[in-house]
Amino acid sequence: MSTPADHIPGPAAQPATRRRWRLRTSQVPYLLISPFVVLFLVFGIFPLVFSFWLAFQSWEPTAGLASMKFVGLDNFRFAITDEWFWKSLRNTAWLALASGVPQHVIAIPLAYFIHTGFKRSRNAVIGAYFLPYITSTVAIAMMFGTLFSTDYGLINLSLHALAQVPGLGWFFPDAPVDWLNRAENVKPAVAIVVFWRYIGFNTVLYLAALQTIPSDIYEAATMDGARRVQQFFYITLPSLKPMIYFGVTLSVVGGLQLFEEPFILTGGRGGTDQAGMTTAMYMYRTAFEFNDFGGASALSWLLFVFVALLTWLTNRAFRPRGNAS
Amino acid sequence: MKTEKIAPAAAYLLVGVGAIIMLLPFYFMFVFATHARTEIFNLPPPLFFGDHFGVNLQILTEKIPFWRSLGWSLYVALASTALTLLFCSMGGYAFAMFEFRGKQPLFLLVLGTMLLPSFLGMIPTFMIMDAFGWIDQPRALYIPGAASAFGIFMMRQFVSSSIPKDLIEAARMDGCGELGIYWRIVLPLLQPAMGTLGLITFIASWNNFIGPLIVMRSPEMYTLPLALRSMQSPVNTEWGAVMAGSAIATLPLLVLFAISSRRLIDGLTAGAVK
Amino acid sequence: MKPLTRTAVIAAAAMLTLATAQAQQSITIAAFPAVDDIAKAAIPIWKKTHPTVEVKVVSRAFADHHTAMTTALSTSSNLPDVMVVEYGYVARFAEGGGLENLGAAPYNLQAQQAHFVPYAYRQGTSNAGAVVAAPADIGPGTLLYRTDLLKTAAVTEADLTQSWESFVGAGVKIKAATGAYLVAHARDIKDIVIRSDIKAGEGLYIDNKGKVLVDSPRFLRAFQLAKKVRDQKLDGKINAWSNEWSEGFKRGTIATQLSGAWLAGHLSNWLAPATKGLWRAAQLPEKAYASWGGTFYTIPKGAKNKTLAWEFIELMTLNPAMQLQAFKAQDAFPALVDVHNDAFFDQPIEFLGGQKARLLWRETAKKINPIEVHKLDPIADEIVNTELDKVLDQGKDIPTALADAKRLLERRVNR
Repeated sequence: MSTPADHIPGPAAQPATRRRWRLRTSQVPYLLISPFVVLFLVFGIFPLVFSFWLAFQSWEPTAGLASMKFVGLDNFRFAITDEWFWKSLRNTAWLALASGVPQHVIAIPLAYFIHTGFKRSRNAVIGAYFLPYITSTVAIAMMFGTLFSTDYGLINLSLHALAQVPGLGWFFPDAPVDWLNRAENVKPAVAIVVFWRYIGFNTVLYLAALQTIPSDIYEAATMDGARRVQQFFYITLPSLKPMIYFGVTLSVVGGLQLFEEPFILTGGRGGTDQAGMTTAMYMYRTAFEFNDFGGASALSWLLFVFVALLTWLTNRAFRPRGNAS
Repeated sequence: MKTEKIAPAAAYLLVGVGAIIMLLPFYFMFVFATHARTEIFNLPPPLFFGDHFGVNLQILTEKIPFWRSLGWSLYVALASTALTLLFCSMGGYAFAMFEFRGKQPLFLLVLGTMLLPSFLGMIPTFMIMDAFGWIDQPRALYIPGAASAFGIFMMRQFVSSSIPKDLIEAARMDGCGELGIYWRIVLPLLQPAMGTLGLITFIASWNNFIGPLIVMRSPEMYTLPLALRSMQSPVNTEWGAVMAGSAIATLPLLVLFAISSRRLIDGLTAGAVK
Repeated sequence: MKPLTRTAVIAAAAMLTLATAQAQQSITIAAFPAVDDIAKAAIPIWKKTHPTVEVKVVSRAFADHHTAMTTALSTSSNLPDVMVVEYGYVARFAEGGGLENLGAAPYNLQAQQAHFVPYAYRQGTSNAGAVVAAPADIGPGTLLYRTDLLKTAAVTEADLTQSWESFVGAGVKIKAATGAYLVAHARDIKDIVIRSDIKAGEGLYIDNKGKVLVDSPRFLRAFQLAKKVRDQKLDGKINAWSNEWSEGFKRGTIATQLSGAWLAGHLSNWLAPATKGLWRAAQLPEKAYASWGGTFYTIPKGAKNKTLAWEFIELMTLNPAMQLQAFKAQDAFPALVDVHNDAFFDQPIEFLGGQKARLLWRETAKKINPIEVHKLDPIADEIVNTELDKVLDQGKDIPTALADAKRLLERRVNR
């Protein structure tokens, strides 16, 4: 792919005899994204289209591909009038907020603190926070099943011990909390596990982003008399904005698609009165337990609408004034 | 003046306690790996290491080709990480620093795929792999994953936040070729991001079981999560062995984290930008 | 001499090719634990009759296996030769039409019908009459109880089993005397009571005309009994296979468990081995007959080696020696009636204090009624369980709950 010599941008210091291959600046982006786009078109588009098409069909998979029956908007109509769908959306929204908001509110200061406060033990501390992200789901299911046990679980035992501490005691419940069997407790339990699992991940993201803020800015600010807290709010946070946008978008998307943690904590059923059943879990069960793939696809596209909406809102919230994001 | 001393001390304490809480379930995984399954199901569970690890390991290797599955997991994860880092850094750079036709819609489309749960794509993915003849082959696992929406999104954000446009312009004016700019200027500056994305991609590939479930039909080709899961019966699981397998499976991730965190965290100082 | 040598060479080459071609044959069995162990154990015997045919057992976790099989059936590709299917999935795989009819030629399982436990055979038959699944093992329902706790509470086995009301009454006494729960979860009682008194033409939740049955008397009674058990604090709100469940067995805080007969083996092996001798098996209360699980062998229509697959299935399901071996090794209760006369059944079971419980289970197996299945059964199950949760945990009124359940299910039936 050679370009005519007279289109080379920049200083035309290249003699015409040099056969060095040069790219036009305008061509470069296409070259750079082409591997990604090719793979994406081959492996990403077909499932997308298939699942979109499937949302308009009635399909019981074990009968084979030929048994699909076109039903138009029936799957969507059914889902919108389905009280379980709305229940799952409420569950999902609650869980996404309850596990997502604390994550960022805590991860940013935590990353900052580790960045500035820990020098030698930094790796160890971050490692400890990152471990939950690495732990396999089998182990998590087993661990938390044990920890959340009503009569013998460590969580209840600790809460009980803390309730005895004078001063703090009023804050903690007296009787053992029935975490997994009461509808109102299942959600906090799941939120705790999700928070535990991803706080380290977000902290690492922010920590990596913090590395890219030049330290001279801080030095200059300190010399101007700014305290640490002020520096945090006026230097760190604004510089982190692109990463916060990224992290929050991930949390929004991930939170709304929450599946694994509630699934393993409630044994795949969603808990008593389906209190822990997120929309993604409902979708999974519709597909693989109730064998209604068309219905599941319709659910996923409805969820997509919500997620897209919220992602767009997030985008609006974070858009820097005047610049294109 | 006292608050100046107490506040940091309290903060250190909180962070320390937090770290211990984060560690606990992980610790228990290793503890359980050294106990027999009857003991694991005790309440309260065993708190310290037992002596059953050798037996668990033996059961583990008898039931599944554990070390071979570990090998496959390693191979797939490494290939996946390498490809993803390359393609996503290129793509992220392009989206962040260039204007081109179709940029916005394409990016939105890519983001859009992130919004759909992966298990719905199981059957169409199976159809594609079958059509290509890639069933039972590791390439079916690492090639598609390189087009990671998450990866390209992350790279785009990193590039736009840590690489000033003027730097690129200056390099162009100095006569540096476009690919040279990418290779010699952008990539080095992206090191924290590459380290992070590499780590996350490796972990995601390592723990992925839906992909292998769809694509692999021979137990000799299973990756670790699938192999470990295949030991879990509704009624008769050798939990000690499963925990032992899970614990060992985590070790490469720990090693990888230790290596990359040194690059991530003790990484570049601001001077590099200049 | 030349023509002869040439013929010899050609003949030798032909035989070699034939032998190699034969030696390359293999069949794939897709299974899940612990059936994979049972299948693998059969390989030495298989090799005696089929020395050149290799058997490849592909094992996945229970849910993963059925997901993978659903995927394979949906695209009719990459199917195994023999597909093991568990009881709960047989119905939907059967209705899908992707499995061979083993009842007809060339398999002719129908001719062997009398050799199987009746309900198991029936369960493998689709509503259209095709026998798509051959039963290998079953889970006859039984009541396992702690005889020591009963003794302390001065309650007899007859008190437990005479009627559901007496079962609950006995539970009150047990709780008062020993502090132990009667059952792990009130839902277990609901599950059995709704399976009793099913009339002809009725499925579990829906009858064959599409009418929803969840407000019929058996459901009302089931809910009332469950609620009574919960109100009197007789259930531990413990889900099966959780840590608390196994701990409850170890510590003796669960007095009875309604389950498949195979639970006795698990209690003995790893759930609560220290409670050896303290358990007994009895008939389910009010002479209820129910089954818990069961394994079936099927041949997908897209399989490559159907003849060999069928021969393997014959080995696993019709061969008395194999059935007995699976029973001894993995507690897989045989679906083959021929085996039921073996001396093994007469042996006392030490864990159950020397009780010859297999005789009891053998009789139970014969009396279990097959229940007509409907493709909406999994959803109906979920609907009813959710309503029961509301009744038990939130004090919802039973008639309203059943009416809501009916409404929710009708919505889906009428789609």
